[in-house]
Amino acid sequence: MTHARLRLRSRLALRVQRLLSHLGLVVTGPVLLALFHFRFRFSAHDLARVRARYRALRAAYPGPLLICSNHLTLVDSIIQAILLDSLWSYLRHPAALPWNLPEAKNYYHSLSWRLTCYLGRSIPVERGASRERAALAQAQMHYVLGQGDAIAIFPEGKRSRDGRVDDRDFSYGVGQLLNQVPDAKVLCIYMRGMRFGGFADFPRAGERFYLQLEMLAPQSASLGLRRARDLSAQVVARIKEMEGEYFAARDSGRLALPDTA
Amino acid sequence: MTEAEITEKVIALVTPYVKNRKALSNITPDTTFLADLGINSARLVDIVLAFEDEFGIEVSDDAADSIATVGDAVALIGKLVP
Repeated sequence: MTHARLRLRSRLALRVQRLLSHLGLVVTGPVLLALFHFRFRFSAHDLARVRARYRALRAAYPGPLLICSNHLTLVDSIIQAILLDSLWSYLRHPAALPWNLPEAKNYYHSLSWRLTCYLGRSIPVERGASRERAALAQAQMHYVLGQGDAIAIFPEGKRSRDGRVDDRDFSYGVGQLLNQVPDAKVLCIYMRGMRFGGFADFPRAGERFYLQLEMLAPQSASLGLRRARDLSAQVVARIKEMEGEYFAARDSGRLALPDTA
Repeated sequence: MTEAEITEKVIALVTPYVKNRKALSNITPDTTFLADLGINSARLVDIVLAFEDEFGIEVSDDAADSIATVGDAVALIGKLVP
């Protein structure tokens, strides 16, 4: 099912969701920022550089974008969005705020979470969904990418239980999306808490986040499923390399917490 | 190639990916890859690609999407195998 075959009603629903999430940022944005800074006392390493780089990349690649990140906590998407750009910038440039693909089972069990996901510009996905439901979710992703929006996706298809990127057992969702939208660009992100880090439902208060971002142009001479696998493997491999670079920088002392530098 | 030969090869190709090892001993044509054998959708893609390599066939994306059970796989391969 391509976005051309996505029903008008579904296309309109996505446009309304995008508009409401944008308007809702006036309320949700300050609340999330207050929680980030004051309730959880989170901070970020080299935030100005991260945001300048994201803005420059978004300006250079204004079309469909897949933001592919490692996945450690249940709130990675929110933290990543806060780090990538300012609230003011998201208000001025709606396409800068990525769509998210939360697992329906984890996030759609209560009205409050449903509302949060809706306003957080989410398209729910289901593991082991029927063909029809999987096709609908894919068509929705295809549609928003076709509108020039960005989608934040976790190429591993799950959180890294051992705290490290799993480059052996990962999903091929990124490759399948790239098969459907070949002109989509790929932005690889490695994000990790520097103070506590690792796998957790929620980061611990006082965490300081590191985020590195790099464009990638995965290539494959194959077609179909084989191409999806090739492209997904290249994306995961790059994020794994970025993880290696992070730990090398920490071990060498080139990257340190402000109170230990 | 007979249906029994295809079934035997299919089970051999699927076995390394099976998480529910108990289900392996009771495989029937109605056994589902995801629910019964505990194989996730990404590994099912690997299995379909393994079918292509083993049987010298090409499985379209739509045909791959239609594979839910061992019987589906055997029937599809039976149609495509030269």
